[in-house]
Amino acid sequence: MLTDFLQLTVAGLSQGSVYALLAVGLIAVYTVRHVINIAQGEFAMLAGLGSAWLTAAGMPLFLAILIAILTVTLVAIVMERLIIARVKKLTPLISIILTLGVSTLLQATMLLIWGPEAKGVPRFPGSNILIGGVSIRSQEFWMIGALVVVGGGIVLFYEKSRWGKALRACAEQPVAARIVGISPVTASVLAFAIAGFVGAVAGLVSSPIYLSLWSGGVLLGLKGFVAAVLGGFVSFRAAIIGALLLGMIEAYVAGYIASGLRDGAAFLILILVLVVRPQGLVLKPTAVRV
Amino acid sequence: MKKSRLRLIAPIAVVTALALTGCSTSNLGGSSPDDPAGDSGPIKIGAVLDVTGAGASLGVPEQNTLNMLAKQLKADGGIDGRDVELTVLDNQSTEDGAAKATSKLIESEKVDIIIGASRTGPSLAMRPLAEAAKIPMISVAANVAIVEGSEWVFKTTQNDVIVIERMLDDAQAKGYTEVALVRDATGFGEGVAEYITELGADRGITLVTTESFEPSATDFTPQMTNVRSSDADAVIIWGINPSAALAQKAFVQLGVNKPVYQSHGIANQSFFDTAGDAANGVIAPMGRLLVADQLADDNAQRDVISQFQADYSAAYGEQPNAFAGHAFDAWHIAVNAIEAVGTDASDLREELETAQWTGVSGVFQMTAENHSGLTASALILAEAQDGRWNLLEG
Repeated sequence: MLTDFLQLTVAGLSQGSVYALLAVGLIAVYTVRHVINIAQGEFAMLAGLGSAWLTAAGMPLFLAILIAILTVTLVAIVMERLIIARVKKLTPLISIILTLGVSTLLQATMLLIWGPEAKGVPRFPGSNILIGGVSIRSQEFWMIGALVVVGGGIVLFYEKSRWGKALRACAEQPVAARIVGISPVTASVLAFAIAGFVGAVAGLVSSPIYLSLWSGGVLLGLKGFVAAVLGGFVSFRAAIIGALLLGMIEAYVAGYIASGLRDGAAFLILILVLVVRPQGLVLKPTAVRV
Repeated sequence: MKKSRLRLIAPIAVVTALALTGCSTSNLGGSSPDDPAGDSGPIKIGAVLDVTGAGASLGVPEQNTLNMLAKQLKADGGIDGRDVELTVLDNQSTEDGAAKATSKLIESEKVDIIIGASRTGPSLAMRPLAEAAKIPMISVAANVAIVEGSEWVFKTTQNDVIVIERMLDDAQAKGYTEVALVRDATGFGEGVAEYITELGADRGITLVTTESFEPSATDFTPQMTNVRSSDADAVIIWGINPSAALAQKAFVQLGVNKPVYQSHGIANQSFFDTAGDAANGVIAPMGRLLVADQLADDNAQRDVISQFQADYSAAYGEQPNAFAGHAFDAWHIAVNAIEAVGTDASDLREELETAQWTGVSGVFQMTAENHSGLTASALILAEAQDGRWNLLEG
């Protein structure tokens, strides 16, 4: 019994790590630009499919991963420059429509280039281990590790570095930030670059076990969205905790109740949070904390 | 301010995104029976296939096959001097997509016969439309419910029942008494648990646990964890790729350590591409296409299979899989019937009920009662080893 519980917990934590990375990307963009980026999940699929294609063509795994991360980050920046930055009066509703367009465009492009079948990046180095009957796949270490390193790195970046502080200033006091000489253009580009980067990392670490599919970004993005809502769309920490909880709840629901209810669990949580506690897991709802 | 804004935006974002995932409603319109096409002008064959979405690993090779055969027929001058036009529509692996595409084929394209869909769910969505419009339809999916009690619907994939019989016979011979089932949650996996319970009872085999998964599922830890702690001697995984291959991978990685049977839904290369070494040792009942090189010289299907393999690989640079074979058989059964009686719908239906065809998926013998036309002899048992299937028993 305990073995089963731990096994489900491991699966939930690793899946939750992927949701957490996507939530970090969503919040990074939302706090600076008040843009809800529907295309966040597509970043993950684009990176996964791209590097699966490169490795299949014979490129070493880590080179392919590096290229995929750089490309997707660039795609996010281009998206900001070409589309988001052009809109004079950007409301969240307009942002949803715009990014929905980008999401559809990215999906169609992936379908045209790589076809309708799911593809996976080769397994990252490492071996599966068995502790007391609980089997942990090496790729699950990579998924959780990616969250610790990348997610943790971004939280540190926001709290300790000059650039991060500038981004927070833009989020909290856009006018004041401008007055003291922080460029809103740079801040916006940086926010999208972070979204592209974490999206790509999430797609790459999960691809070897969960595969990448042209149409797979929507559901994945929605799970990241639920996690971001749990973070009140302002707090990275609350969103990361929320994402890990979401992953575990999904695993328990699938394991103990019925696997068909798995995706339903996420949306039930979303509805409950929006109705009962729209500030999510954030403890001090008034302050903008990123 | 912030609070209320999020409360407002979040539902909009979710609804918009969900609309993308395909939760749209279908608009079928009235399906009035159309006049059957006249005996002159081009013959129209319509196909509805799962070209994108969860069934893509089936729909793509099926589409390739139909396009290739249509081209061949055109080069040969059509049927009785009439051109044959093929229209393939993508149902995006959804039921409502299949229904819409079928209505379009019947109402705007005025097709003489319909092939598809690739999977059971979409095929079941098409069945009432074909029946109402009185247009013959040949599905390339597995579940026997597609043709049971049907007047206008036929199919070419081996029935799930005979696949299960084949598995259980082997399980009985090996002395397994308890099996676990991990099945596709859509139409393809519907009824499988009931058949195993019923057919297993005669063989002293009981079904101890049933788990299910969506064809779009990616994580199988919960299902495999439950199977691992069950008492089953053997496990049956019932699905299509990529989900069935991912399930196989999770099964091995989580150390379930029991013998595995998979269905004929995985008889393609993408199973090996996705599952890798985890595929080794899987036993699956399937048609003879993937083990054609190991068949006896006097096997009735040998020539038709090797001709198909040669044509397909010349056209697309890769070997055809079992699903391509189902489309190949559906096309030939349709074309043979049109050659015999023309395009009058009720003549065509009667002709299909007597169709005989030595094809890729088996030797077909349609009757008024059996619109599937295949018996258990259409299946062989094969074992996966190092990226290929080895014939266990014919």
